[in-house]
Amino acid sequence: MLRRGLWLLGWIALAALSAPLGYAVWVSFSPDSFLTPPTTNWSPRWYIAFVADRRWTFALVRSLFVGCGSALVAVLTGTPLALAVTRYRFAGRGLLAVTTLLPACVPAAVLAMGLLPLLYLAGLWGNVLGLILAHGLLGLPVVYLIVQTQLEQMPPNLEAAARGLGASRWQATVRVTLPLLRPAILAGAAAALALSFNESMLAIFLATPTTETLPAVIWPQLRYAPSPLVAVASCVSVALAAGMVLLLSLLGVKLC
Amino acid sequence: MNRSPTPYLLATPAGVLLVGLLIGPLVLLLRVSLYEPSGGRGFFVPHTWTLTNYATVTDAYGLRLLGFTVAFAVTVATLSVALGYPLALFVRAMRSPWQQLALAGVLLPKLASLFVLLFGLQQLLGEAGPLQQFLLATGVIATPLRLVRSWWGAVVAEVVLILPYVVLVLGVQLGRIEPTWEAAARGLGASSLQVFARLTLPLSLPGLALAGQLALMWGMGALLGPLLLGGPEQTTLSVEIHRQAFEYGRWPRAAALAVLLAGSVGLVVFTFRSLFGLLLGKH
Repeated sequence: MLRRGLWLLGWIALAALSAPLGYAVWVSFSPDSFLTPPTTNWSPRWYIAFVADRRWTFALVRSLFVGCGSALVAVLTGTPLALAVTRYRFAGRGLLAVTTLLPACVPAAVLAMGLLPLLYLAGLWGNVLGLILAHGLLGLPVVYLIVQTQLEQMPPNLEAAARGLGASRWQATVRVTLPLLRPAILAGAAAALALSFNESMLAIFLATPTTETLPAVIWPQLRYAPSPLVAVASCVSVALAAGMVLLLSLLGVKLC
Repeated sequence: MNRSPTPYLLATPAGVLLVGLLIGPLVLLLRVSLYEPSGGRGFFVPHTWTLTNYATVTDAYGLRLLGFTVAFAVTVATLSVALGYPLALFVRAMRSPWQQLALAGVLLPKLASLFVLLFGLQQLLGEAGPLQQFLLATGVIATPLRLVRSWWGAVVAEVVLILPYVVLVLGVQLGRIEPTWEAAARGLGASSLQVFARLTLPLSLPGLALAGQLALMWGMGALLGPLLLGGPEQTTLSVEIHRQAFEYGRWPRAAALAVLLAGSVGLVVFTFRSLFGLLLGKH
């Protein structure tokens, strides 16, 4: 009896974690401007409004562009770093490994208050490049951790075998290590993409009209006048996130 | 020590990104916090040095904000760990297809935007939302509760945002405990409670320490939960930074608050680690 009660409680807790997401999706099919979920009268009205509004569609495309760009930045910086830290001993290695995790530890408001004047002074304010680099910084620890974990689980004698068979260190890396790392790199890229696509903390500090991502458009509406359009944007973001997870599992990467 | 240039070459791209977009901005933050605040034109007065901003952020109001932020973070972290630990045990005890389903349920919301979760929560907890309507209809409560724009709204929102990470971190740590060890303890005559208290719990302490530290850190930086589900009373340092920078355009003051926040996050994490270390030392 106690066991069954605990079981039920556990599932209720898990359901509660997904409830806000499910409810937002449900509300997006509302037929009117009130934020009541539809029961019989499901309507695509707000989806049509979303597609018709250039501000939303531009933001969506920009979000995807920034997401892909920052995932690329995160992979190109995180992967070689993970290789250096796991395969070599060098001065400053420990410091570098700790600093890499900092973007995930520093409060977003602190980082944003530093980035704001930097982008402003560097003339990157209102430029998508600044956003791509900032999101790339957030993705760096994610890619680094995933690739590093994979590298540590990989038997190092595979590289030794390749070297023994006459491959140079470079050849061993490119033809043995990197192919073996591919699932980890893909997983890291997808995680960095999802992170950037839904980045909401820096967005409310760094958004300008020319660099508005999807969350940046959602933000004022959510704060001052929530409409079913916010729910639609939510739904789009969830669908894309779920699509990415599905793509990952198709690529043969386990979630955990 | 390796003398070849290879590791340095490999680390260069990440190093450039970290110096340019993390270290650089943090140094600039310090500099901006020392500018004189502008009286309307621009965000600060260039070429000035002053400590006024620090005086204004460490006055009674500033210290009250700091106190609130710490209290908020401790509440959120305590609740996240207290709920996350049993949840992680629960997920671990599941059999194969259910476990994946539960993990997906924990992870999927984290892939969506924070705004989506907060929007859903706002609607769910609001006075017209299904939760309150249900409680009113069944007579559990007589009048609507103030869940949105309140302390509890802000706390619930941050817990919902942080809990999945706590479950993940604890899940990884619990996954390292072989189920056969617990079976062996049980075979030697230990009760379920003894197995938990003398085997599972001590072995999961490193995960508990990490999860607690992360929850505290993120709780200290709480911005969107208090902003969207809290009221004007629920002003954390991050909320005040946002307000100073955007509602008043006072970058130097916002920067000084950010320095205060960064310092207090470090102090809180250090205190937590020391306390946890003391606790472990006793064992």
